[in-house]
Amino acid sequence: MTVRDMLTHPWLTVRTQIALGLFFVVAALPKIADPPSFAHMIYNYRLLPGQLVNVSALVMPWAELLMGLALICGIWRRAAATLVGALLVVFIIAISVNLLRGNAIDCGCFDVAAAGRSVAERLHDMRMIIVRDVGMLLLVAQGLLGADRAEGGGAL
Amino acid sequence: MNLRRFLAEAVTLVGLAIACALVSNAFAGKERQLPIPGSYQNATKVSPRADASPLPAFIAEQPSAVPAASDRAPTGVPQAIPAAGVAAAPRPAPTAPASAAAASTRPPEPKPVPAAELLARFPVHGQPYVEIPGDAAAWLHARGALFLDARRTKDFAQGHVGGARSFPVWEAALVKERVEGLVAEGRDQSLPVVLYCSGGECEDSHMLAQTLFGAGFENLLVYRDGFPDWMKQGGTVGSGATE
Repeated sequence: MTVRDMLTHPWLTVRTQIALGLFFVVAALPKIADPPSFAHMIYNYRLLPGQLVNVSALVMPWAELLMGLALICGIWRRAAATLVGALLVVFIIAISVNLLRGNAIDCGCFDVAAAGRSVAERLHDMRMIIVRDVGMLLLVAQGLLGADRAEGGGAL
Repeated sequence: MNLRRFLAEAVTLVGLAIACALVSNAFAGKERQLPIPGSYQNATKVSPRADASPLPAFIAEQPSAVPAASDRAPTGVPQAIPAAGVAAAPRPAPTAPASAAAASTRPPEPKPVPAAELLARFPVHGQPYVEIPGDAAAWLHARGALFLDARRTKDFAQGHVGGARSFPVWEAALVKERVEGLVAEGRDQSLPVVLYCSGGECEDSHMLAQTLFGAGFENLLVYRDGFPDWMKQGGTVGSGATE
C-alpha cells in the first residue's frame, strides 16, 4: 500500500469528514444563537461593505451548520467539502489581510463574544488561526482526494 | 464526478442556508434580529483609534473643554477634546442659571439638569460626536446629564453607569425603537448626551452617536474610555436590564 493509498483510504476519509463536519457544526451554533454579535465580528474585519455585513452574519453560520451536517451524515459530501474548503480560503484571506494591515481582531470562529485580549495576543491568535485553517484545508483536500479514489466505490 | 449533480447539491446547500437564515431572522426577537441590508458607515475603513493619543484630563474648575463649533475643522469629522482647549481657554465664572427655554423642554429627571451650566461647558458642537475623558463624564453624570449605554443588552444588564439607559446599537430593531422614543420625549436636543460602550477599540458609542445625530441630537459626547474606565474611577454603577 502506497502513502497515497493510506492517505485516501475510505476509513480515514470518513473519519476526517466527520471531524470536519463536527468542527463546523460547533462553530456555527454560537453564531446562529447571537447574530448581532457575529455581525459585529464581521464588521470588525473591515472587509465587507456595510450593506453585506448583516446578510453575511445571518447566512454564513447556517451554511456552516448545513455543510457540517452534510459531512457528518454523509449527504452531498463532495459539494459540502468543496464549499467548506471555499469558506476556509475566504477565512484565511480575511484574516491575512487584517494581519497585513495590523488590524487586530477577534476571529469570531467559535465564540462571538469579544475576548478582551490585548492587540499582541489577538495578532498572535490570528496567525495561529491561519495555521489551523490551512490544516483544515488539508483535511478538505484529503476528503476530496478520498472521494476521487472512492468514486464508484462508495466512500463518498 | 457528475458536475451537474455537484453544482445542484452545492446550490441547494447554499439556498437552504439562505432560507434558514431569513426564516430564523424573521422569527427572532428584537435583541437578535438584524436588518437587511445593514447600514454601517466606515465598514471597510480600519479604525485609527488604536493609536489615538490619550484624551486630556478634564478639569472641572477650568473653562469649557469643548471649543466653539467655528473653531473646529469644518469637515464634520468628529474630534477629541483638544488639550489646549482644556488647559488654556479662558472661561467666565459659572454663573448663569438654566434658561427658561431649556428648562421648559427638560424631561423629568431624578434631579434637575442645570442646562445653562451644562451648555456653558459643553456647548452644541455641530458634529456627530466629540470624545470626552472620564472626568468630564463624571462631571456630567453628577449634574444629571443623560447617559446612553451602546453595549449589548446582556452587558448592560450585568452593569452600567448609574442612571444610564440601554441603547444597544447592534440590536437594530431595539435601538431604532428607543431612539424614536427618546425623540418623542421632546428632550432638548442641544443638551449634552453622553454615550459610552466598552472603551478601548469599541466603536458602538460612535455608531450610536451617528444614529442620534441623524435623529436631531446636536450635543453628543462619546465617553471614549467607556464603562471599564467608569468602573476604575469608582463611578456609580447600576445593574439589571432596565434603569
